[in-house]
Amino acid sequence: MTLARSAILVALLAIAAALVLAAWPTPAGPEERVERIVADLRCPVCQGLSVADSPSESARQMRDLVAQRVAEGRTDAEIRDEFRRSYGDWVFLSPAVDGPGVLMWLAPLALLGLGAALAWSRARAPAAVAAEPEPGAVEALRGRVAREEMADL
Amino acid sequence: MMASAAARAATFPGGVRNAAVIVALVALIVVLALGFRRDPHDIRSAAVGKPAPAFDLAALDATGRVSLEQHRGKVVVVNFFASWCVPCREEHPALVRAWERYRTSDVVLIGVLYQDSVDDGREFVRRLGTTWPTAVDDDGRTALGFGVFGIPETFFIGPDGVIEGRHIGPIDEATLVRGIDALRRSP
Repeated sequence: MTLARSAILVALLAIAAALVLAAWPTPAGPEERVERIVADLRCPVCQGLSVADSPSESARQMRDLVAQRVAEGRTDAEIRDEFRRSYGDWVFLSPAVDGPGVLMWLAPLALLGLGAALAWSRARAPAAVAAEPEPGAVEALRGRVAREEMADL
Repeated sequence: MMASAAARAATFPGGVRNAAVIVALVALIVVLALGFRRDPHDIRSAAVGKPAPAFDLAALDATGRVSLEQHRGKVVVVNFFASWCVPCREEHPALVRAWERYRTSDVVLIGVLYQDSVDDGREFVRRLGTTWPTAVDDDGRTALGFGVFGIPETFFIGPDGVIEGRHIGPIDEATLVRGIDALRRSP
């Protein structure tokens, strides 16, 4: 295995490990759950701001509702469903994992695969081999260079 | 250099590259064309076509409660408003005319004060002459249940309690009449 191929393999493994670690579920407290949910909720009266980032009254009311539902013992999915019933998938900043939204999740993976295939094919490409000169071509070239040098003098 | 060029050519021939660029450009144009054709006031609502969220709110005039349930079987128009909202003031004459037209029939108009103080809300309805039932959504839960984006916003609810229509922004009399009559005619 060449150095380049080893480097590609190590990079791919590192990316895979980072994805697994990032997606690994960790137990969260109530406040952390509220922050996580409102960070993905779109503020309805803002331009591209999450409820977590918006200082608007609407965002504050949505945050209060999330906090109350968490305190009541509702699951994250139940709380998200409540907002989905009113606002649809629009209310989530992350695209849905079902329906057309799944394309948004698959596109980066497809691009990653495409890049990996490209890198793999380039790593496997044969090394550059200079063609052997035709018999007499070198002598002809030397003669031409010598004539041009004489002409310059 | 020659090897990498050869590899590129072997992996993505020029024809494929050009086709990929064309496909990407066409896709971009289609997405932009569809996006720019949409009316920003016509935001698809997840609430339309579903049962209206029940509410039981304090009446603005402190005379009791205003609930959706008490008007089941009637066409209900719910209008979210606030005293600080200029378009709410602009649409008010249309609401007055619609209310005068339908108040003796099986149609109910309910105003819901949203993100406003009770005192300011009372002053607003007193000054403009609001005579239909008006309630206070003090914690915004009713508005969140309806999926309100910004006020004014008006919802048309059929006798079966299902939200059949929604209008974002100031509403005019013709839109009100059209929305109400469509629900009164429906079986």
